[in-house]
Amino acid sequence: MAAISFPFETVLIANRGEIAVRIIGSLRKLGLRAAIVYHEVDAATPAVALADVAFKISGRTPVSAYLDAEQIVTAARTVGAGALHPGYGFLSENAGFARAVAAAGIAFIGPSPEAIELMGDKIRARNFVEGNGFPVAPSAIEESDPPTFLARARSIGVPLLVKPSAGGGGKGMRIVRDLDLLEDAVAQARSEGQRYFGDGRLYIERYVEKPRHIEVQVLGDAFGNVVHLFERECSVQRRFQKIIEETPSPALSPQMRQRICETAAGIARAAGYRNAGTVEFIFGGGEFYFLEMNTRLQVEHPVTEMITGVDLVAEQIAIAANRPLSFRQPDISAQGHAIEARLYAESPERGFLPTSGKVLMLDYPHEQGVRVDSGIAQGQSITTAFDPMLAKVIVHAPTRDAAVAKAIRAVQKVVLLGCETNAAFLARVLGDAGFRSGEVHTGYLDENPTIASGIDGDPDEVTGLLAVAALVTRPVRDAADAVPALHAAIGDWRN
Amino acid sequence: MQRIVSLTDTRAQEFRTNDVHNRLLAAELRERQQAARFARPERDLERLRRQNKMFVRDRIQALLDPGTPFLELSTLAGNKAYDNEVPGAAQVVGIGIVSGREVIVHADDASVKGGAWYPLSVKKIVRALDVAIENRLPVVHLCDSAGGFLPLQAEFFADRYYAGRIFRNQSILSKMGVPQVAVVMGHCTAGGAYVPALSDYNIIVRGTGAIFLAGPPLVKAATGEEVSVEELGGADMHTSVSGTGDYFASSEMHALAIARDIVARFNRIPKAAVDHVAPEQPAYDPSELYGIIPKDPRVQFDMREIVARLADGSRFHEYQPRYGQTLVCGFARLHGYQIGILANNGVLFSDSALKGAHFIQLCDKNRTPLLFLQNITGFMVGRDYERRGITKDGAKLIMAVAGAAVPKFTVVCNGSYGAGTYGMSGRAFDPRFMFTWPQSQISVMGAEQAAGVLTDIKAKQLARNGERLSEPQLAAIREPILEDYRERSSAYYATSELWDDGILDPVDTRNALAIALSAALNAPIEAPHYGVFRM
Amino acid sequence: MFHKFDLGGVMHELWLAPTVNGYYLRILDGWSGPVAFAEESTGRGSLTVAGTSEAVAFAVDGDVIHIHMRGRTRSLRYVDPLRALASVDGDDGHNVARAPMPGTVVALKVVPGDAVTAGTVLVVIESMKLETQIRASQDGIVERLHVKDGDSFDRDAILVTLSQGN
Repeated sequence: MAAISFPFETVLIANRGEIAVRIIGSLRKLGLRAAIVYHEVDAATPAVALADVAFKISGRTPVSAYLDAEQIVTAARTVGAGALHPGYGFLSENAGFARAVAAAGIAFIGPSPEAIELMGDKIRARNFVEGNGFPVAPSAIEESDPPTFLARARSIGVPLLVKPSAGGGGKGMRIVRDLDLLEDAVAQARSEGQRYFGDGRLYIERYVEKPRHIEVQVLGDAFGNVVHLFERECSVQRRFQKIIEETPSPALSPQMRQRICETAAGIARAAGYRNAGTVEFIFGGGEFYFLEMNTRLQVEHPVTEMITGVDLVAEQIAIAANRPLSFRQPDISAQGHAIEARLYAESPERGFLPTSGKVLMLDYPHEQGVRVDSGIAQGQSITTAFDPMLAKVIVHAPTRDAAVAKAIRAVQKVVLLGCETNAAFLARVLGDAGFRSGEVHTGYLDENPTIASGIDGDPDEVTGLLAVAALVTRPVRDAADAVPALHAAIGDWRN
Repeated sequence: MQRIVSLTDTRAQEFRTNDVHNRLLAAELRERQQAARFARPERDLERLRRQNKMFVRDRIQALLDPGTPFLELSTLAGNKAYDNEVPGAAQVVGIGIVSGREVIVHADDASVKGGAWYPLSVKKIVRALDVAIENRLPVVHLCDSAGGFLPLQAEFFADRYYAGRIFRNQSILSKMGVPQVAVVMGHCTAGGAYVPALSDYNIIVRGTGAIFLAGPPLVKAATGEEVSVEELGGADMHTSVSGTGDYFASSEMHALAIARDIVARFNRIPKAAVDHVAPEQPAYDPSELYGIIPKDPRVQFDMREIVARLADGSRFHEYQPRYGQTLVCGFARLHGYQIGILANNGVLFSDSALKGAHFIQLCDKNRTPLLFLQNITGFMVGRDYERRGITKDGAKLIMAVAGAAVPKFTVVCNGSYGAGTYGMSGRAFDPRFMFTWPQSQISVMGAEQAAGVLTDIKAKQLARNGERLSEPQLAAIREPILEDYRERSSAYYATSELWDDGILDPVDTRNALAIALSAALNAPIEAPHYGVFRM
Repeated sequence: MFHKFDLGGVMHELWLAPTVNGYYLRILDGWSGPVAFAEESTGRGSLTVAGTSEAVAFAVDGDVIHIHMRGRTRSLRYVDPLRALASVDGDDGHNVARAPMPGTVVALKVVPGDAVTAGTVLVVIESMKLETQIRASQDGIVERLHVKDGDSFDRDAILVTLSQGN
């Protein structure tokens, strides 16, 4: 990217962990000053150490600090930030926050508050997309006529998916395969919607069996130029949380690919979308339906960057600085195949129990075509205060098979001692025949629970582990060293 | 050092006959030891289980470092006493490795008569502690005894080396700075209470362990007081109120873990320095010993053949090979340690006695431990020999044996008779350890000879009164004497009475001696020092 | 008594013995043979099992050993026999904290129902112008407080009763 000047010098990052480190990286490249807010528990994290300015915030819980719009805006003002990047999660899709930032005269690096509001409300978003002629799954929205809601739902036919309209991230969603269970599912989804999102409104749509989760990265500038940067497949999920993402999707023919990507760009254009966003679709049985639009940078954005060579964060900052996009759709091309595997502080072998501990040793693979976005450092304590994602391991290779092999090698080379992670599980998923064949769908992990639970350690491995443990554990070593040579030589003898 | 060239023909008929015979004897030894160690009436094992107690050998196994040897002493003590109902004299004693340290393990075997102390039990315990004193070995006591076997108290109570000697020995060990740990896993009553009390450290197991000078029934009889075992001397009371107990253990395994941890604290001082190189296996197969030891105990064999199957590399540096040839003397190595060997190839003459006395002094000055391989009928007798001073030459040998400061080890390979037993460092001469082989015999003279002498005396007695005995009458006198001698000179009788530290399978001798020697080096070697040699 | 390591909830017993030029590992009901470990840099080394070598990364945190080998990370815990055997429950189930000397209660630090670990301060007492913290000797749950602030007590008086925790 050609050197450009910005109307701001300092950007405040209202986030933490690996995305904060990622954003700092692009800020450095652009010659901008990086400021960050942090809660006490994150004081020892690399993001705080790398930032030029660190501003401490506080809250009843660590999460609440990063959700405290007032504190964050105050911090931005105090450090003289001319722009603010919200990262993902936290306040990134909070229209009120976007407004408050703008009101403080600070450029919000993201879409307009209106776009956030439109796409944040699942029902509004769905109606908007449908109204603009783009495909949506047959559905029944409760609000349009509450008394007939269940009847309309029934007429769609099973299988159905019941969703809270204010929801996201999979919470509160329920699959109904038997109409007799519909009313119970509705009641439960409503109460969860109320509990998690403060909104009990629901909508029901056709559920695609063995659905594949395909999403498209879009970028829009302030001058109406909207492009797509191809799709990503995120079907390897657990409880609607993504674990492995890749691009291109092995499920799409070139024609289907083009159709879906252009549909996404069309939706973004119709919404007058600015900055980075992702349009998510459900794909199955040769059909695709709009699912939702995420009005923020996504966790899995690196795979798009690997195949296109575009620095999405830098583009976001440029757009927020009122620069036009430096490329048009024909300028964007994709090379090779990229896969991202998310490293979590959890134990898939023990029911995905969250784990914690001090990072006693940390070493990532360093080789061509392997990129690790990490938010942790050696010596740091991993706690259950935040989302358990520790790092992303992203690989790029000329073909899918090569990328899969490279990804397996990469996760096997991740050394993180002191806090249990899902690294072995990632290797098992990547090595699974189903994944290798490209025949994945969002229910794939649930259907193959042995991938999570793993196979019992082979005796050879157990022997090796016990040998290391014995040789590095002082009491064992000392006991061995204490035995006199004669008696050790004679061994287990009795007269 | 030259390798001994064996002249044994392993394919000869004689070899094969001996081999079959000795293997049978070895098998018999193994079976009898196995029975003494493990054969118990089911009801006794059941009782232990009900009491939540481990079998003594399981306790020892858990105490010792895994993968290390255990040299058990006097396994067959008591095998010819008490109708053979008290195997091992209800005691298990041996040298083992605990937390890397050589220790004496002394354990009551509660599966035998509740672990009661019979006279031979007391003798075995005193011997164990004598070994500890002479070799400066720490002791771990595993206490679980019903107390003294009262019907036989006259044989274990009052005399100098009876039960009191146990407590005296314990006190002396402590005075010497050699630590003892007692693990109280049953009742320690009356005298038995002093074992943990006189140990530097003790551990009491909750529920089963107790220490008291008199148990509840005796207390009630003595003063009328009614009190429970737990209250009178249980783990909780002694570890928190009286301070008699040092550590409270919630189970036997816990107690043994604590004991191991205590032993791991013991200071390790440098052992006596004896010339040592890397070990080497004998060049000849030790199992050939079975074919070399004659089936007929009266047949002579060359002790060098024995040495060739015991010594490292079968190497032997013979001293004065052309002089005093009935006593083979020389240097060898055992698991790398240099030792001096004295071995009998016939009766002792003046020259062999002198050679032996000289060689002992050489080894003593050289700080080389001594190994006596006995196969001796005695000293030569007769007028010419007396005129040449066989008696005073024998005395010089005995003076040297008695005065030697280096550790001595004795193995009775075959016969051990008369003064030969003494000159070749028998029990009375304080070898640190003394072992026998299954076919060995020990008595003041051979059975035949003794029977002949005694029958002769009887016949002469009767002849003074004019009586003459017929052949059958003579036989009737001779037979019982022969029987008695044979019985009471066998290796099994000797070991039953604790005249030695155990019968060894000949092929086990190398390991046993190496372990014994290593244990012996925990005590410093005094400077050489003798009485007057009658010149 | 063998050494015990917990690997993923499974207890393994082993013994390490010295040999002339290294060590010999014996796993109970498992493999036995010569082993060696050469530490090349902090936390990195080469493990040799019966002649075959492989790279290992490891970190020791108290009794826990974290190991990365063959592309996987596993953790083992060394089970200290004294600790493990001591906590075996008896029929008793109760544990009391007694006053080591006569004195008065300065402060109570727990209430009935509190779960405590060995070492947790239960009561602060004052005696002979010295303040002493009375701690729990093992893990458990506070069952009953026998004294309150300002109370005087004799030596060996029971101050707190705890029941065995889980």
